[in-house]
Amino acid sequence: MIQRLLPFFTLIALFIILAIASPNFLTSTNLSSVVRQTAVINIMALGMTLIIISGGIDLSVGSIVALGGLIGATAMEKKWGIPAGMAVGLLIGTACGFANGLMITSLRINPFIVTLGTMGIFRGLALIFSNGLPVHDIPPSFSYLGEGTLLGVPFVLWILLFCAVLMHVLLEHTRLGRYAFSIGSNPDAAFYAGVPVRFDTIAVYSIAGLLTGLAGMIEASRLMTGQPTGGQGYELQAIAAVVIGGGSLRGGEGSVLGTLVGAFIMGLLSNGSDLLGTNPYWQQVIIGAVIILAVSVDELRKRRMSS
Amino acid sequence: MLLQLKGIQKRFGGVVALRDGNLSVNAGEVHLLMGENGAGKSTLMKIVAGMQVADDGEMLWKGQPARFRNPSEAARNGIAMVHQESLLAPHLSIAENIFLGREERLPLGWINRSKMVREASRLIEDHRFPLQADWRVDKLSPAGKQLVEICRAIQQGSSLLIFDEPTSSLSEAETKEVFRIVKALCTRGIGVIYITHRLEELRVIGDRVTVLRDGQTVHSGPLGELTTEQLIHHMVGREVAAIYQRNPLPPGEELLRVHNVTRAPALRDISFTLCAGEIVGMAGLVGAGRTELCRAIFGVDPIDSGQIWIEGKQVRVRSPREAVRAGVALIPEDRQKTGLATALPIAYNLTMASLPSVSRFGFLRLSSERSIAGEYTKKLRIKADSPKQRAGRLSGGNQQKVVIAKWLVRGARVFLFDEPTRGIDVGAKVEVFEVMDSLVRSGAAILMVSSEMSELLQVADRILVMRQGRITGELPGHTTQEQIMRYAAFDTSVTTTEEHPA
Repeated sequence: MIQRLLPFFTLIALFIILAIASPNFLTSTNLSSVVRQTAVINIMALGMTLIIISGGIDLSVGSIVALGGLIGATAMEKKWGIPAGMAVGLLIGTACGFANGLMITSLRINPFIVTLGTMGIFRGLALIFSNGLPVHDIPPSFSYLGEGTLLGVPFVLWILLFCAVLMHVLLEHTRLGRYAFSIGSNPDAAFYAGVPVRFDTIAVYSIAGLLTGLAGMIEASRLMTGQPTGGQGYELQAIAAVVIGGGSLRGGEGSVLGTLVGAFIMGLLSNGSDLLGTNPYWQQVIIGAVIILAVSVDELRKRRMSS
Repeated sequence: MLLQLKGIQKRFGGVVALRDGNLSVNAGEVHLLMGENGAGKSTLMKIVAGMQVADDGEMLWKGQPARFRNPSEAARNGIAMVHQESLLAPHLSIAENIFLGREERLPLGWINRSKMVREASRLIEDHRFPLQADWRVDKLSPAGKQLVEICRAIQQGSSLLIFDEPTSSLSEAETKEVFRIVKALCTRGIGVIYITHRLEELRVIGDRVTVLRDGQTVHSGPLGELTTEQLIHHMVGREVAAIYQRNPLPPGEELLRVHNVTRAPALRDISFTLCAGEIVGMAGLVGAGRTELCRAIFGVDPIDSGQIWIEGKQVRVRSPREAVRAGVALIPEDRQKTGLATALPIAYNLTMASLPSVSRFGFLRLSSERSIAGEYTKKLRIKADSPKQRAGRLSGGNQQKVVIAKWLVRGARVFLFDEPTRGIDVGAKVEVFEVMDSLVRSGAAILMVSSEMSELLQVADRILVMRQGRITGELPGHTTQEQIMRYAAFDTSVTTTEEHPA
């Protein structure tokens, strides 16, 4: 049990260490900026949690962030208004996820390969659609989504909490969530038990796509641009957050709380390195080492449990 | 005397696997090692082959005290094991596998491929194996893979070969071939230890027999002096007839009717019925099409032609999902692979097929899941710390009960049991039979596929026999093993012109 909470303790320890080491850490400006910086990855990671629990993986989410944000921003540029623009962005995300799920289930290709392909396809579509140019002409009030404050905390924190609660309920209290665990743990046993494996797999990828579309809109709002080249490498950060939080790439394991903790550990590491003036090149080394460490500790725990 | 083991002990944590293992094997004999699952046969053999180290006891190899710390040390001393599941590299050729780890080398680390192929070919011809040195191993049948492992052992110059249930996945013809080869090895002075569960193989292959029970050697001696009943008595520790007996019920309404179902080439013109209150046995040799029949009825594999009625309604079952909805349950042969999500809690497994009834508008009612899990773990006496425990941590028998309970929760009425007692011990077997009996008493119908004829005779009301994709006979439940074998192994039909052995 103690080992299971290890990521959680790590987060708290990291928090305390940074609070002592840097006077600028515990300021509302800094904490808000940590939240804003990690919100995009965090929301993507929620969707990734669902996918990884169902035994899959999605490498295309970074491209979906770009494509969703770009087309949503374009809709606003065309004076469709903010709500419609948001809806377009979320819809694009969902459609991309749906396409991933459809191909994985009907072509019966490994999700790693399918989404490796669509990572390029979605990125290419964003570049084709925008001619490679960012979209700037967005209504100024749209910046509230990513930069605004509600009840004293960043608005994105409310969005994140809302999404996290929904995802937790989905995973632990709905049929779809339970089926995701079953499919991830043993797809054959799920199929033999009459679980609608195909439908649910598509639903899982679509829901993750929806969340990724939302992340794309938040990213667009923070930058006040639709960037066809945005979101690169985000997929790996989202995957890292899930596995640091105890998700298993073999499927059947993972939790919302773990993923949130994982994403915040990465956020604090990068924020802390900034505050302490660590060489930014070293940041990458540190975060990489943390990923390996976290997963090896988790593996050790599981091996001890099963023996 | 090639090998002698005296008072071997081995414990794993709190579990005693071996308390007094004794065994002696002579050069040039086939020594049978028998015993129920969990009796300690595999542990004893792993100690001989260096895969495990004994806690206590003495091992003499060719008269000298020996203790092998790893398999390669045992191999260097001339002991090799032919495994149930192949441990070959599937993408390499037969020759490469035979020499794996001991390649013929040229200077600069180059491998002398042509010499390896030449030597492998000579070995294969020498023993008249139906193989060619340059074939890829993944194209071989299970029997072919075993032959490659045997080649490997011979090439290493082994003087003792251990076979762990070699024929469990082989056809009849392949089994004969393995027997011929084992005999041939013995005439060359090689000692063979042969683990088997199949009583019918014993007399064909064995010279002497050692029986283990609960980690102890309870009998050792020549096979000729022993009747099969005595042998079973040694293995089980009680009379076989006493294991289980059930009182048949009068059959009720018809729950399953299968009419002329064909799926080439595995199934041809299969017709039979199952009624409420009935346990119908399905006998046959491995490869007769029994598992394929279960899969076809359950919608896993599509059928070419034929009709299926469930509870009087004609149905077209295109997926397990549709079969489940129609009230059919499959307890599959390979429990870990298709029956159970081993990493998930017992409770999740129990409700996996019934989530619509424990949820409302897509939301789970966790309290009702908890009460179902509690109810069925108690009802089937599933030995677990709590329903939250991972299903994979249960013993084989308890895992099987979870798989069965999943369908009880669902309320299925037509049960297809495919080898329900495989890999579980006698006590759990009886419990599984009791569950099956109570199922039919509550109005269900069961088709029970089993390769253990003695079990079918104890449990089934009538017995269907399959051979080469056809039902070749229907026998009453109180028939004999000889009768079943007559239909399962020999041609009893007149129109046989289009039939060829597979």
